Amino acid sequence: MKDLLDAAPGLDANAVEQRAREVLAEPLYWFPVRHHSPTAARYIAEVLRARRPKVIFIEGPAEATELVQHIADPKTKPPIAIYSSYRDDDNVLGLAGIASSAPDVPAKWGVWYPMLPYSPEYVAIRVAKEIGAQVVFIDLPHHGLITPHSAEDAEDEAEADEPEDELDEEDPEAEGAPAEPPTWENLAVESNFYKTLAETAGYRSWSECWDALFEVGGRHADAEEFRRDLTYFCAAVRATTSNDRMVRDGTFAREDHMWRAIATTLAEKQLRPEDAVVVCGGFHLFMKRELVPAKVLPKGTVYATVAPYSYYRTSEQSGYGAGNRAPKYYEMLYQHTQGAGSVVAEAPIRAMVDHVVAVLARGRRAGELLSSADAISITQHARMLASLRGHQAPTLDDVRDGILSCCCKGRPEEEGRYLLTAMTEVEIGSAIGRVTPALGRLPLVFDFYRSIDDLDLGETMGKEKKTKIALDLRQEADERRSVFFHRLAELGVSFAKLLEGGESNTLFREVWRVEWSPRVETELIENNLHGDTMEAAATAKIDEELAREQEDAASVCERLLRATNMDLPGLVLRIEETAGHAIDADSRLVSLARALTHLTVLRRQAARKKIREDVVVDLEGRCFARACFAIPEIANVPVEDHEEVLAALKSVAEALLGDSASTFDRDLFVENVRSAYAESTSPYLRGAMCGLLTETRAQPAEVLSQEILKFAQSRPEVMLTCGEFLDGVMATSRTAIMLGAQSLVEAFDVLLRAASWEQFLTMLPRARKAFERLHDRSRVAFADRVAQLYGLQEGEADKLAQLDTSVGAAVWMARIDARVAEVMKEWDF
Amino acid sequence: MAKAKTPSAADVSPATPQVTAPPQVPQAPDGPETELLREPAEVKYRRELEALRQNESDQAPAAWKLSPRSVLTYITGAKKPLKATIDGKVVEVTITRKFFGDDSIVERSIVTLASERALLLVGDPGTGKSWLSEHLAAAISGTSLLTIQGTAGTTEEQIKYSWNIARIIAEGPKPDNMIQSPCMLAMRAGKIFRFEEITRCVGDVQDALVSICSDKTIAVPELPDDPMVFARPGFNIIATANARDQGVNDLSAALKRRFNYIHIPVVSDQKTEVEIVRTRSAELLERYKIPGRIEEPVLKLLTTVFREMRQGTTGEGLSVQKPTTTLSTAEAIGVALDSAIHSRYFGTGTVGPEDIARNLIGSIVKEDLADLKVLKEYMNLVAKKRAAGDPAWKTFYEAAIKVLSA
Repeated sequence: MKDLLDAAPGLDANAVEQRAREVLAEPLYWFPVRHHSPTAARYIAEVLRARRPKVIFIEGPAEATELVQHIADPKTKPPIAIYSSYRDDDNVLGLAGIASSAPDVPAKWGVWYPMLPYSPEYVAIRVAKEIGAQVVFIDLPHHGLITPHSAEDAEDEAEADEPEDELDEEDPEAEGAPAEPPTWENLAVESNFYKTLAETAGYRSWSECWDALFEVGGRHADAEEFRRDLTYFCAAVRATTSNDRMVRDGTFAREDHMWRAIATTLAEKQLRPEDAVVVCGGFHLFMKRELVPAKVLPKGTVYATVAPYSYYRTSEQSGYGAGNRAPKYYEMLYQHTQGAGSVVAEAPIRAMVDHVVAVLARGRRAGELLSSADAISITQHARMLASLRGHQAPTLDDVRDGILSCCCKGRPEEEGRYLLTAMTEVEIGSAIGRVTPALGRLPLVFDFYRSIDDLDLGETMGKEKKTKIALDLRQEADERRSVFFHRLAELGVSFAKLLEGGESNTLFREVWRVEWSPRVETELIENNLHGDTMEAAATAKIDEELAREQEDAASVCERLLRATNMDLPGLVLRIEETAGHAIDADSRLVSLARALTHLTVLRRQAARKKIREDVVVDLEGRCFARACFAIPEIANVPVEDHEEVLAALKSVAEALLGDSASTFDRDLFVENVRSAYAESTSPYLRGAMCGLLTETRAQPAEVLSQEILKFAQSRPEVMLTCGEFLDGVMATSRTAIMLGAQSLVEAFDVLLRAASWEQFLTMLPRARKAFERLHDRSRVAFADRVAQLYGLQEGEADKLAQLDTSVGAAVWMARIDARVAEVMKEWDF
Repeated sequence: MAKAKTPSAADVSPATPQVTAPPQVPQAPDGPETELLREPAEVKYRRELEALRQNESDQAPAAWKLSPRSVLTYITGAKKPLKATIDGKVVEVTITRKFFGDDSIVERSIVTLASERALLLVGDPGTGKSWLSEHLAAAISGTSLLTIQGTAGTTEEQIKYSWNIARIIAEGPKPDNMIQSPCMLAMRAGKIFRFEEITRCVGDVQDALVSICSDKTIAVPELPDDPMVFARPGFNIIATANARDQGVNDLSAALKRRFNYIHIPVVSDQKTEVEIVRTRSAELLERYKIPGRIEEPVLKLLTTVFREMRQGTTGEGLSVQKPTTTLSTAEAIGVALDSAIHSRYFGTGTVGPEDIARNLIGSIVKEDLADLKVLKEYMNLVAKKRAAGDPAWKTFYEAAIKVLSA
């Protein structure tokens, strides 16, 4: 390590060495680690067993110290994670409405601290139990790092003159989003020492650098040598990191807390420094040994627990910044150093062989041609690469390159895509952790499992397999299951997904896909910030959504429908009121039409869901009227909005046509459509509105043919738009149009006769599209009318379909057909 | 066991035009200047290779001239110059970077050549496959000339051996009457054999390599007393294949297994691409004895146009159409050289954006005239906008539009 320090330009190697020596010589024993490093884990176990300290300080969240006993419990199996959440109930940080959806919704934060079987922190906790040492987590609780909203910020925002809701959307620290614990590795990567080192040695990533220097090859004779080298390395990293950077990421604040925890614990327990060991990120070995006044943590609700975790969620591929790039690979590396007879120096080779064999097996399953000879070549290649790169033994990078060189026959992203997938899957592994039952569950998690028992859904647990469940909502048990699934879906918990149902035509049937995975539990834990029961959490979630979209009728009515599906009667009452305001305030047809559809579905369920039908009917009536008033506004919307407004118009018309109780004012609808028709200059929209008026019987079907005749007599450029008009008509009118089919065909015939060949060709695509909108039977009926117009007599049509061929001719036809088929077989397409 | 034969000039017949003889390259007594238009790598960089040999600290594999680490240094360059005695004088020799891009490509290639398997460099045209292949062979074997250029007309004889017909009629089959292929010469001498554009050859011909790759032998049934030619340690094959030809004459499964494929991607970052164009065009200008060099802003402009048109997006995030041609870095070097020659003989002698604009069109519009439209679109959407605030882009845009509308 000394040679590396000497080689780094601009680094005072002697000063760095001196600083490192001082720390190493302290009576308090500091052991530097990197999260998820198997080698650090192996050495810390050795050190603790040899030194047998009375107390072990670990860089873990201080608020979770009480959970140590559950982490050390033999029934707890990593991967697990400490989850710590904070809710600012009294808005002491002033971030409500900034870090949360609305000023009256408290801001929340949650952080995960994963632990793998070979995380040094986890191994230290297990060994502590073995030797009877006490474990103290010393890191600053994550909410101590949240910057409060200051008065200056507020002024800046006011000056910026930006609407507040836009700020909310852009805020990356979205409320409740689990953040990552701070890590010194980010500082290491940014330090000049690492940058110089990486450039000189050709490391492509921080992980490659770490593996080459500290992880593989047994380059350190013992724990002391490892500790010394890592301390030197971290001293150099720290010496080339700016103070500003450490202030910004909260390093100093955290270190102040860590030192205070160490010093006060030693004093309280009247222990000598020699009786303790500190296990922390190597960067923090150089923290100030000064007691500064304790940082005042913001008041609020803090909750910490331990939850099962998975290798995938710990991996970098899942987007976890402080993750491990190959959890399963490093587990193998660790395993091969454990147990009697294991030779540490051979571990990288053994891990490599296991890994390569597993990747090739996975690749073969994906259809790749991979043999044992390939495995031999890969291991040889990786060893030679390691030697060329100056690695003591093959690192993961060497193994990856070996696999790609020997097995990928082309571009990795194309020809090697299955191989890359196999490599990633095997590197990550599929391990899922377990937490001792001795640890009480979070209330929301408890409520989930209680509901699973109550609803007889126990069979779906414990096997990570997708199950389809069909529910008949007229059965009470199924209705309750439906409510449960809807609540989970609202919370974004991936346990249940609605496959069918929820539409107006399937009122009593729902099909759900149900699948349990460890992710479900972590999602529930994240949602615990919203409430202690499924009901409370779902209510809080909808409340938050409503706070954002109070003015949008469609969104509010959709929430109303969802609240009904989730059986949240209190919320339903509140939303009914909000819905009334939203409908009155909204003047967009598209939004109102959607709201109307939701309300119609709701009205049909009213009796079954035990909600007041009269309230829904009233809302429906108001919504219909508002939608009618909004129709003239769409007369000249841009072309890209045509389909959307057309769908809205059709759904309003469908509500009117399906209105058996005469709740809706038909004249209001007709009057507004007529008004829009008169104002519109778009042939397509005019056609659509004309079709609607016919469909609602507001005008006779013959009016359509008169309109088409008008096109036949108009200027050529107007005549060309007849196809669009017809397309609009067919888009909205299905039944009524058949009543005037005869006159429509005649009018169209006149139009086509009047059109030149070029005009016909221009009209053809839209006209064809128009007729394609019709049902097959209607299209045949139109064709019959055309045939009749051209002389086909009644009853003749059936004869045309009769085959009048002799048996001999049919045999010949079959032979010719067979011969043609044979000839075609030889053709190479 | 058959007697291995040391290759000599007499082994090679000039009658096989696609077969290149082992090197008999005239060398100047001092410095790289010779009478050749293009010197092979081992001649052009002989000082660097010699300096690396003299400073060797690792063990080289059997028959390799340099250790793998030194081969890597030769190709990726060294920061500090090496002290060496060249032609009786102690001098400092700078090891220049020959291959720009991901160093792991070079590492993987070197390791493959030291292993049982042969190496296939695959990539789009102009990504530097042959360039890398030549330097690897030069550094490992001291010669890059044991080469076959694959074509649709390449025969199995050209890969293995053929006979001098006149002498066969006179004397019958004798070892002296055999015309050895570069591959056989490489086997006998324990050197690297290069097979350029292997996928241009038909499958049957390619499969002649199967036994050479696995058994490291060539059978010569015409010589019952000496029926096998065995490869000496150090022999291996570097083949290159154009990614755009894949699927035309794809390697058989048996042959694929015997090759490690290393894919060379098109350089994607501008800094590296500028570096490549600068270095290579300077070398070429020297070769053509064109004085001066291409200034940095012009190089930057050239590589920006190539990169953006290749990727279909501009630095501002605007989507532009991609032409059908491969806009490789080699093409950009070609444009730089053409511009310099044009400027030297018909212009001011200094390469400006207008020279680039004039010579760019031929590189982009080749087979498909629709590419002309693509180029025009780029000029109007991107270059025109930049021309408003940047004089270099203004000159470039105006010259390009003038040529395009001519």
